[in-house]
Amino acid sequence: MLTIVRIHNELLGTYGDRGNADVLAFRAHLNGIGAEIIDVSFREKLPESADIYLMGGAEDAAQSLSLMALKETGSLSRAVERGATLLAICAGFQIIGESFTNGHGDVIAGLGLLEVTTTPGKSRFVGDIKVASTILDCEFTGFENHGGATEIGSSVQPFGKVLVGNGNGYSNLDGAISGNVYGTYLHGPLLARNPEFADHLLTKVTNSEMKYSDDLANEYAEWRRKVTK
Amino acid sequence: MPHRGLKRAVLIALVSGWASRTFARKSGETISGRILLALRPTAISELAPGRTIFLVSGTNGKTSTTRFLKRIVEQKGSVATSQSGSNLNWGIASSLMKPDAYAVLEIDELHLPSVLAQTNPKVVVLLNLTRDQLHRMHEVKRVADKWHEIADVADETTFVVDIDDPYVNYATSTAKSVIRVSFGGRSHPDGAVCPKCGSYLTWKEGIYDSDCGLTNRVYDRLLVASDASARNAALANIAGSLIAAPYLEPSLGELERTIVREVRGVHADIRLTKNPASWTEALRGITSQNVILILNSREVDGIDTSWLFDVSFEILQGRKVVVTGERALDMQYRLHVEGISSVQAPDFDAAMAHFPTDDHVQVLSAYTAFFELSK
Repeated sequence: MLTIVRIHNELLGTYGDRGNADVLAFRAHLNGIGAEIIDVSFREKLPESADIYLMGGAEDAAQSLSLMALKETGSLSRAVERGATLLAICAGFQIIGESFTNGHGDVIAGLGLLEVTTTPGKSRFVGDIKVASTILDCEFTGFENHGGATEIGSSVQPFGKVLVGNGNGYSNLDGAISGNVYGTYLHGPLLARNPEFADHLLTKVTNSEMKYSDDLANEYAEWRRKVTK
Repeated sequence: MPHRGLKRAVLIALVSGWASRTFARKSGETISGRILLALRPTAISELAPGRTIFLVSGTNGKTSTTRFLKRIVEQKGSVATSQSGSNLNWGIASSLMKPDAYAVLEIDELHLPSVLAQTNPKVVVLLNLTRDQLHRMHEVKRVADKWHEIADVADETTFVVDIDDPYVNYATSTAKSVIRVSFGGRSHPDGAVCPKCGSYLTWKEGIYDSDCGLTNRVYDRLLVASDASARNAALANIAGSLIAAPYLEPSLGELERTIVREVRGVHADIRLTKNPASWTEALRGITSQNVILILNSREVDGIDTSWLFDVSFEILQGRKVVVTGERALDMQYRLHVEGISSVQAPDFDAAMAHFPTDDHVQVLSAYTAFFELSK
């Protein structure tokens, strides 16, 4: 049984990212793999033994609260160290970096799971985004809506090269990857728009190939790639 | 003559509006408002004095509440109002061109501070604040902050507000004159964090408490309402009571944005839906076996469709569902992941063709599609 933890969705659920967990579970079931989604709210203890952890986008105050809770327990960092997979979008991506600047202009230390630093961008980045994946031979599409610009360090690889939109706001790159940890600015939700990446994560975690896709998912993904320009 | 320039600008704008209606068959309102503001940027603040003005804002229910409040205020005298949905500056300018004693105006959330400052209204009704058009609003808290700033200095205005919404409560928490209405509490889809102090809100059965003291336990009126329409009707009546307008009972469906259409003998009840909160509310009202969902993503619909995954469509399980609109495929895939099958149709008429003659269909429609079907 695959366990998927949706972290603090009431805080990190501003831009529909809860759908990433739904899509993972849905595609696991398509391939005959049992999957369970565990919603862990701010006041609850984060289990450390799950397979996949997911974080989404948030407003400023919510982002700070979520980080505070994750720092306090250290559970997520321990889970990642053990080898669990983490996918963090937008505010979640910023939280797991070295540091970010909050709405009051204070620099906040992040969880340090990715060598990235976020500072306020020149203007807010809002709109459709398309990137060329650095790990799969395909493009990913999504929607970005963030004020932060993120510089990535030498110990991480980018999640994608930006074809349309802004992404990190530096060097035409989006996101960052290090080992089992993935960060990106793509909402959509990301895994609904990009089934190949959902399957990539599932394959990694289960060590088995995802043989069954579904036509509707592929049709949707192809259409978004075609019209995002 | 101090107002000569204003009078001339109004005259030119009125003629342009008439020309637009007559020759281009447009409503004329937007064009005359735009022309007026171009000729006379201060027109709104110059036309406002001497009238009793009511403003209505909020994420959902603005148009229907404005329409109902107009009916209440009309019991006291002639009322200027904005054409349905025309809630930006030029719509306001246009509706103030005629010399009515009262004005009841629907105001876009982001335009509220500027219109409030320019019109010095007697009453502002604030309905709710939830996620909507985030590509434009960015964050709910950002809109609430803007409201808070203006409410703090609007000393001659009485705010009539639903404090079960923590954002609305925060926005008017330090305003001079506020009528705080609670309907006994309810959950809020974006209400995890206190908009005032940033702490984690404690919620219990619709009642919230914040570390800073923000709560809906303390109110001026405690009322009972079965749904959003009933809440908005109650707020409108309280606003009307401030000019001693008699209480009005809304007629059935008066506070919902619905239209009825018939295509080849198939009957459709079409309801406007536009963001997670309004879709959730509208889905609660689904009783028919036959459902059409229309999704677009133009500017006023919100150009990002990610929020579809924040809405549960569970109630559609086992019903016959047809999806259409420019983003029909987003909707179809979202339903698919929730285990609900649907078919796609190229447009509304084709969607209606999926149902036999004499059948009734409930239609939930995105903003821009709703307006096209209203024509």
